[in-house]
Amino acid sequence: MAPTTRQGISPFLEPGPRTKANSLAILQLSRDNFLPVHLQHATGEHDGYAEGVVVNTRFGSFPHSTMIGVPWGSQIRASKVDTGSRGRKRKRLPGDDAGRDENGNEVEADVAELEIETESAEPTTDTPSGPKQAIAASSGFVHVLPPTPEIWTTSLPHRTQVVYTPDYSYILHRIRARPGAVIIEAGAGSGSFSHASARAVYNGYPKEGERKGKVISFEYHEERYKKMKQELSQHGLEGIVHLTHRDVYKGGFLINDGESPEAEAVFLDLPAPWDALPALSRRRPEGAEGADESGKPWVSPLNSKKNAYICTFSPCIEQVTKTVSAMRRLGWVDIDMVEIANRKLHTARDRVGLNMPQDRGVNNSARDVEEAISKLAEIEEKFRQHARPSRSAANTSSKNGDDGKATSNGKGASREEETFTSSRPWADGRLIVRGEPEIKTHTSYLVFAILPREWSEEDEAAALAKYPLGQEQAVVGDMDKASRKKLRQELLKKQGDKKQKKKEKAEKLDEKMDETSG
Amino acid sequence: MASVVRPNTWVALKLPSGISRVIQIAPNTTISLGKYGSFPANLIIGRPYHLTFELQDKLEGEDFSRLRIVPTTELYAEIFADEVSPGCSTPTAGANEAAIPTTADAEDYTLIDAETGNVVARSNLATAIDETARQTLTQDEIEELKRDGTNAGKDVIAKLLLSHTALDQKTSFSLAKYKLMKTKKYIRRFQVLPMDVANFANWQLEERDSSRILDMRAEMIGLVGCWGNAHYGGEDVFLEDPRASTEQGQEACAAVQEDLLRGRWLVVDDTCGMLVAALAERMGVLNPEYPDSDAEDSALSAAAAETATEESNTADAQPQQQQPDTEMADAQEDDGLHPTNPHNKPRPSDFAIPYSQTNTITVVHAASQPNLSFLNYWGFDHTAPNHPPHPLLSHLLTLSWLQLLQPSLDTSYSTPPLVATQQELAGWKPSRRGNFHRKRRRFARTRHVVDAARAGNFSGLICASTMDPISILKHALHLLAGGAPIAIYSPTVEPLAALADCFSVPRRTAWTSGQVAEIVGKSGEELERWAGSEDFPLNPTLLLGVSIQTSRARRWQVLPGRTHPLMMERGGAEGYVFTAWRAKPAEGRVEAKGKFKRRKTEPGAVAGAAEGDAEEVKAAAEEA
Repeated sequence: MAPTTRQGISPFLEPGPRTKANSLAILQLSRDNFLPVHLQHATGEHDGYAEGVVVNTRFGSFPHSTMIGVPWGSQIRASKVDTGSRGRKRKRLPGDDAGRDENGNEVEADVAELEIETESAEPTTDTPSGPKQAIAASSGFVHVLPPTPEIWTTSLPHRTQVVYTPDYSYILHRIRARPGAVIIEAGAGSGSFSHASARAVYNGYPKEGERKGKVISFEYHEERYKKMKQELSQHGLEGIVHLTHRDVYKGGFLINDGESPEAEAVFLDLPAPWDALPALSRRRPEGAEGADESGKPWVSPLNSKKNAYICTFSPCIEQVTKTVSAMRRLGWVDIDMVEIANRKLHTARDRVGLNMPQDRGVNNSARDVEEAISKLAEIEEKFRQHARPSRSAANTSSKNGDDGKATSNGKGASREEETFTSSRPWADGRLIVRGEPEIKTHTSYLVFAILPREWSEEDEAAALAKYPLGQEQAVVGDMDKASRKKLRQELLKKQGDKKQKKKEKAEKLDEKMDETSG
Repeated sequence: MASVVRPNTWVALKLPSGISRVIQIAPNTTISLGKYGSFPANLIIGRPYHLTFELQDKLEGEDFSRLRIVPTTELYAEIFADEVSPGCSTPTAGANEAAIPTTADAEDYTLIDAETGNVVARSNLATAIDETARQTLTQDEIEELKRDGTNAGKDVIAKLLLSHTALDQKTSFSLAKYKLMKTKKYIRRFQVLPMDVANFANWQLEERDSSRILDMRAEMIGLVGCWGNAHYGGEDVFLEDPRASTEQGQEACAAVQEDLLRGRWLVVDDTCGMLVAALAERMGVLNPEYPDSDAEDSALSAAAAETATEESNTADAQPQQQQPDTEMADAQEDDGLHPTNPHNKPRPSDFAIPYSQTNTITVVHAASQPNLSFLNYWGFDHTAPNHPPHPLLSHLLTLSWLQLLQPSLDTSYSTPPLVATQQELAGWKPSRRGNFHRKRRRFARTRHVVDAARAGNFSGLICASTMDPISILKHALHLLAGGAPIAIYSPTVEPLAALADCFSVPRRTAWTSGQVAEIVGKSGEELERWAGSEDFPLNPTLLLGVSIQTSRARRWQVLPGRTHPLMMERGGAEGYVFTAWRAKPAEGRVEAKGKFKRRKTEPGAVAGAAEGDAEEVKAAAEEA
């Protein structure tokens, strides 16, 4: 496909081989420090920078022009950018917010997290009128990564509690979020789940009248709704995520004025999921208010031909109890509650030993008993040698001295060698794995449940007509050993001369039997 | 995934004892559930999943049990009774609760009759458990009740409870336990669960051989899929059929067009195909597509039509399905002679590539054939020569490590295809002709799979393998596109720790600061394909954000007044996931030393450009 037709596709879904202008990219500053940047072409000087739009980090300045059209994952060197004179210029414009350009777009929204390099770079001679060609600097580098929901989740601007990757990966797996599914999400919050579920259900952008995988998202908080709306359009996800500004407790889950989204999966990140649950029924729930005032028939937001999977996300156990109770009364089955404990592990070299270099993170104590003994003996010996002048018995000292010298010479020489010629610092010490210093011990409780599709008498009658009874020929499943053997022998006989196939089939049959009787 | 049971699909029948029976549901068979009874399969075909069925007593003149759908109000009747019981408990109990708050958590447990809603028995927490409590029914009497098997086993359970002399002296917990135990044993109910990846993995893990899927729990499947960024990789694109005549050889094969390749994931799978299934599900190529089930019972009719036409369908499969083996080749020959064929599309030539260029999974396997046996549960048999339509046929590509790394040593790749003129062909026996076409088709396909894989630019690498991850990355890293994610699962942490150590800060520092003699003067391209040395098994600058994590789901029981985490859970292998992104290091030496020299707290003039150094610098800056 030509690249032009892919222009509108979100970089989250199809980033393409290279970075593009007017598209989101993520700068990795250091291991866990990501910075989302909306790459922009500049035609001339921008916000005081001769190089056009520039990102400033503690690792240097990075004009966008150096980051557009490069392969994803590229290491980008910092450029020599005149930040100093710009800083002075800016002071003359008091109305201008620090680090915000005319558009006030998200690049600048994140600049607050950064430390703007204000120290003077090597001064550039003059400011030409067009965007200046960037010159590499030696202050550092960043890597430019394609956006994924995982990186976005760690770098997004927090508006509410974020649903992190360990939780949403498990949730999406359990609520069967697959390409083509329609998911209701209530409480869009910071948007991490929206991005992850959009990727999960994506199976192409819907053309007019076409039904494709979709996320039906609701957010009641107006500020968050607006932010989210802006984010979705910048990320090219508007065709996948349908965002509505609504309080779902009162307003329910229908879209486009009374139309059912026909969802098959639901994720509720709400303070009171039990208040939203009645609207997620197959039929008009008892005591539903305001539903029939217009005389319209009650419409279920769920797909009537599919089983509905749900997950609710609540931090407190009381919320869980109420939610589960409500689910049971509304006919949800397979109710299951779990909490996810995720741990990140760091690998390191545990460097312990008396002869290790005096370095950060090195424990300069004895590595083992042998080392401790030799060290103690050495000290002992030094002590004795120190004490010797005061004593006059030359005989004994010389005897001891021989012994001591032998040990200290042997050990000491080798130690010195190791200490100062550690040519392979990466291989020193023992490889260890340990948890990160702080762990999230509790995020939220996840309640899963399934609402099977409705099954009426008529459906049953139709199914019965389609698959009539009384023609049963074989028995599948548990059988006693004797009849299983008999069946197998019969099958073997049937196979007759084809020796090769006979063997295979017997094995297959056995396997099947085992599986079914498992 | 269909919402109703289709004929000939695999389903899990969940029994009251908690055990799942995984059965392929063939129409017109009887399904036996052992002691719980048996029923005709046709009673669950076409019915929705997740319903709970109860085996009813056999009717007069029928030799099979019919099924009843158990409404949820009945399933939850006891819990509902518990929820309201604190309000209607006896005055003394209420007083006790008020006086001694410690007893408040020990709530009454009631046994109620499902039909009438009457309370049959209620626990009494005032009396202690009687040590001499006895079941008055004898074993023979119980056996007799079981034989009669009336009312789906509920009668047996009720009688057992009522005949227990000390039932009223049991505490709520012991009564609940007793009832649950008896229910598990006697109630004739089951639930039909779909065999999707989540249910399959769970069943394989809990009840079958967990080692075959490398103890991969649901959390891990989710993490690997997300960190590997596996998702729908774009609309199918097929290469044009070169329409090569039988006289043309290798040169007529369609070349791999690298710009068409996208949305491709490289997979190393030692879980017998479970990982591939999980990824295929995420990419939307696991389940055969059925017509939209919008009409009232189109799902049913579609299912019926499918069974009816199955045999006829298989022969003239869709044009993009390959017809790989000998018999098929003959059938294909014949096809051309039948102009009456309703789907009279031109038959693809031998060199037509049946694989999509997008949204594919490329599996690299260590043995000569991949082990993907679990894909059978989703109707895909990798070894079947004549496969009915299945999306995996055009989206699953497999090749061996030998084919990937040294294709010239592989016979099927390096042997040039046979050529023959039409006259020669006409003179051959059909079997020889079939073989001729089969070999040519195999050549073209192998050629395409290997060439496309070697072209690289994969969108991600996902592994769950028993092989050393370092050796996998040594040969797979350069095949990944820049920024492509890597997710490697391992049941134990040690292999992943060793892998992460290859990308440690000291290694990167040494590498970038020119301390490694072997790499001096090598180009970026050469370093991308770094073959590894003792000290540097992998090029440490090729990965970003290397990290290892583990996840564990703790399950809870949520019951009124009795909510707590489960007492027992699966132990064994914990499961870890290694994640990183593929980096494209800048060519030449990257310096990072200038900007920090004014600050006294920071190590000035940091040699080397590794982010590790940058990190240290940053940490120092934050302290200041």
